Amino acid sequence: MTPDEVVAALGAVQASMSYDDIVVDVPREQWATAVTAARDDLHLTFFDFLTGVDLLDDGFEVVVRLWSLSGRAGLQLRTRCPRADPTVSSLSGIFAGADWHERQAAELFGLGFVGHPRLDPLLLPPGFEGHPLRKEFVLTARVEKVWPGGKEPGESAVEAAGSRRRKHLPLGVPPTGRP
Amino acid sequence: MNADEQDLVLRTASGEGHYPDAEPELPPRARGAIGLIEENCTVCMLCARECPDWCLYIDSHKEPLPPLGPQGRPRVRNVLDRFAIDFSLCMYCGICIEVCPFDALFWTPEFAYAGLAATDLVHERDLLGEWMASVPEPPALDPAAAPAPEATDAAATERGTAPPR
Amino acid sequence: MDPQPVRFVLQWGRRYTLTVANVGLACCAIEFVAASMSGSPLLHRSLAAGTGTADLLVISGTVTDKMAPAVRRLYDSLPDPKFVLSFGACSNSGGPYWDSYSVTKGVDQIVPVDVYVPGCPPRPEALLHGVLTLAARLDAVQDIDA
Repeated sequence: MTPDEVVAALGAVQASMSYDDIVVDVPREQWATAVTAARDDLHLTFFDFLTGVDLLDDGFEVVVRLWSLSGRAGLQLRTRCPRADPTVSSLSGIFAGADWHERQAAELFGLGFVGHPRLDPLLLPPGFEGHPLRKEFVLTARVEKVWPGGKEPGESAVEAAGSRRRKHLPLGVPPTGRP
Repeated sequence: MNADEQDLVLRTASGEGHYPDAEPELPPRARGAIGLIEENCTVCMLCARECPDWCLYIDSHKEPLPPLGPQGRPRVRNVLDRFAIDFSLCMYCGICIEVCPFDALFWTPEFAYAGLAATDLVHERDLLGEWMASVPEPPALDPAAAPAPEATDAAATERGTAPPR
Repeated sequence: MDPQPVRFVLQWGRRYTLTVANVGLACCAIEFVAASMSGSPLLHRSLAAGTGTADLLVISGTVTDKMAPAVRRLYDSLPDPKFVLSFGACSNSGGPYWDSYSVTKGVDQIVPVDVYVPGCPPRPEALLHGVLTLAARLDAVQDIDA
């Protein structure tokens, strides 16, 4: 399977390489048709995973990886959706395994999958608020716990608390503390 | 089962060679607890900053030192007040030991320090200093390797050929 | 309240026949398996036949918020007297996942813990040391009562 064959089978898409996988970027409207063509015409019958990527202002990216058992080759299909309307077509009708992967992506990123039979939460405990894998989701333990490395050498805890010097923030804590 | 397998079963079921009757044979770089050489610590805070679990708690203050010579400036030294490692959080990654520029932290293979309370697992600097007693010898240097800069500098100082400070 | 001689016997019996059940949630469970298969007399005859008969519950592995109610139900279903050994950094305090959005930061947030064994993961011998530490505490309790 070469990038040219992939482009020919799926229509006008961008193809590139990522390690040994071919990666194609697909417009949102063609998401389901492209994945169907990949399964039927390119014999990528093994559904590996589906996940999301939070690209901040560029919206969300949905990535699905398919594998060909006969050709032993992998293909990643990616599509973008805007932050204001984070929905794509569901692949659960094309690959049954996509059902739970889409439920996970929906609860962790807040994505919608149109046509999915039941987008109930899968992994998070009941009553969980928010979408943890979005980049603006703050890990409260990092905000609550005082960073032991925030003190300067030779500074005691009392001095550090009272100091008006600009503090060195730990990783993962936004400047405002809470979102 | 053959004679060797029977032997193995009898040996393992007999209770001999088992903890606590016998200590386990530990590999050379086994990670158990972390020892601290307080004299080497300059309180640079690198270990506390790099720890992914935020489990090193360091407090210090500055103390003045007299100048080195008649034209010298007054100097300042960091003095440790508290150096604690919370082993209930520690994930034994070794980043603190790797990042310490002054070789103040060392691995020791001690593993038997369970506690009846979670606070028993916060080891203060006296206990961290005691762990140094069980730190194994470092591996021997490769005889074919170039000599370490510390050794060449020390030799040059003795000969009187070291560059002036 | 039990008369003292009976309590002495109860504690003595408990110390030498602690029946152990493992709540194997993550990697620390592998070390528990290594300890239980090692043939050490402290553990190898003491594995509970079903958790309904356990005296000592060993929580080995990360307790997620979704799993926490199940661990609590399991603890509640055991008859008294029961003890809990927290095995490994994740069940001690959350460990490497101390900042996670879905991890219970220490199983002592949901059940009372009697012994904490540090490590990530602790050696199988560290588990045996933890069991001995608990046994010593039971001994000490008995000395206080007797």
